[in-house]
Amino acid sequence: MDRNIYAYVCRRCGASHYPFRMVCKECKQNDFFEFDTVPLPRTGSLVTWTRVHNLPAQYEVATLGIGIVELENGMRMLGQLEIDEPEIGMAVVGEVDVVRREPYDSYYGMVFRAA
Amino acid sequence: MRDVYVAGIGITTFTRLEYPLVEIASYASMMALRDAGVTEVDQVYVANMGSPRVNHQTALASAVVDSLSLMPAGAAAIENGPASGAAAIKAGFQAVASGMDDVVLVAGAERMREVNNLEATDFVATLTHPLAEYIYGVTLPAHAAMFTRLYMERYGVTERHLAMVSVKNQNAALANEWAHLQQPITIEGILDSPEAMTNNPYVAEPLRFFDACPVSDGGAALVLVSEEKARELGRPLVRISGIGQATDTHAVFERDEPTDLLAVRKAANDAFAMAGITPQDVDVAELHDAFTILEIVESEEVGFFPRGEGHLALEKGETALGGTIPINVGGGLKGRGHPVGATGVAQAWEIVTQLRGDGGTRQVEGARVGFTCNFGGFGNNVVCCTFVRES
Ligand SMILES: [Zn+2]
Repeated sequence: MDRNIYAYVCRRCGASHYPFRMVCKECKQNDFFEFDTVPLPRTGSLVTWTRVHNLPAQYEVATLGIGIVELENGMRMLGQLEIDEPEIGMAVVGEVDVVRREPYDSYYGMVFRAA
Repeated sequence: MRDVYVAGIGITTFTRLEYPLVEIASYASMMALRDAGVTEVDQVYVANMGSPRVNHQTALASAVVDSLSLMPAGAAAIENGPASGAAAIKAGFQAVASGMDDVVLVAGAERMREVNNLEATDFVATLTHPLAEYIYGVTLPAHAAMFTRLYMERYGVTERHLAMVSVKNQNAALANEWAHLQQPITIEGILDSPEAMTNNPYVAEPLRFFDACPVSDGGAALVLVSEEKARELGRPLVRISGIGQATDTHAVFERDEPTDLLAVRKAANDAFAMAGITPQDVDVAELHDAFTILEIVESEEVGFFPRGEGHLALEKGETALGGTIPINVGGGLKGRGHPVGATGVAQAWEIVTQLRGDGGTRQVEGARVGFTCNFGGFGNNVVCCTFVRES
């Protein structure tokens, strides 16, 4: 299935937001829902990262890679990493996949691998 | 605006406490009320982050008022993440400064050890952005770790500098009978020896176990009063001379410069401006070292040291007792412990103790001006306060 994560583009000033907020951070327009949605790009470079060792109970893995990625359009997002030896600045490519499982829910988010 | 004074202070031991949360808040409050010499107050604010989730109790301030028989005083709980404590001090300050109230009890309390460590970590993680951060398994240690990695890359901070903060603060706690951690540590033991990697494993790379504060139960309280009331009560005159609060984006990655903590910078600037002083006037400071990196970066953002030089000042001992600006001489969050809702109030408790000259073996000689930085979220809600001892 093709899933996307979206950026929200202000219809008044064109500023892009991720994650969603109700009022544009740049022009402060407060009309309701005056944003267009555009899929976030999948490729970018790794800004910083960590490997978490003490995980909440629902993660059935020993460690979890998490990083902040600067996408090719200059926006940033946080995602999980499936990268053995992450390095700041490395090229990565993302795919939307399950990032958290709860008893009755699965949450989707971006998972990055080395490009 | 009226001047506001701290007439009474109280604290519990920070550790695992086998008392109900209301009693923890009330115990610290009773000490503060007795210290001030008052039995009646106009208003109560109780800072707490987790009671609905962790302790299955809501409307905490109403329960505390009843426990202390302070009816019919006004009461409200204040939840502002890890900056709940100083947010409650600000509310109490506003109540007295405005002239609405003459005597306000500000308490902070948390009982986190009622759940296990992973549940406590998850509870604190609920302050992150629900869709852009939390669902990925991000914890506060993960945020601090990603921040630390960038700071290391950019400014030459090393694991050794982080360990120096751990050692300084955990060993400082030995001079504070109320502090959670009472075991001395050494750089050898947590970094250099063959056993160090076993003693001090990674929590979130590059942060290790000893880079994080412990999970603690505890409470702290202040009695804030008007000048007229302060003179009548006759306790040492410690005035809250400035308060600044600022916010930043909820998602950390959205900030233009990921190593900036703009809310810390603005909250500190505003507090100093209100007090009419500069960072260089401060004699003793409490910074929010939930993770070792935060003491270093906050010491820069609040203006004690230039950007990128906090770790150099640490190396020279400038932030230790006897240095130019002693930081966290009571152990900080790292050594004293971090019952989240209590922390902002406990920082003020330490500063008032110092400005009264009651610091014992950890006393900063001649301390007259104090400063606190209570860091909420991952830097998205910060409250800074300045205090001055008047003769
Ligand atoms: Zn706009």
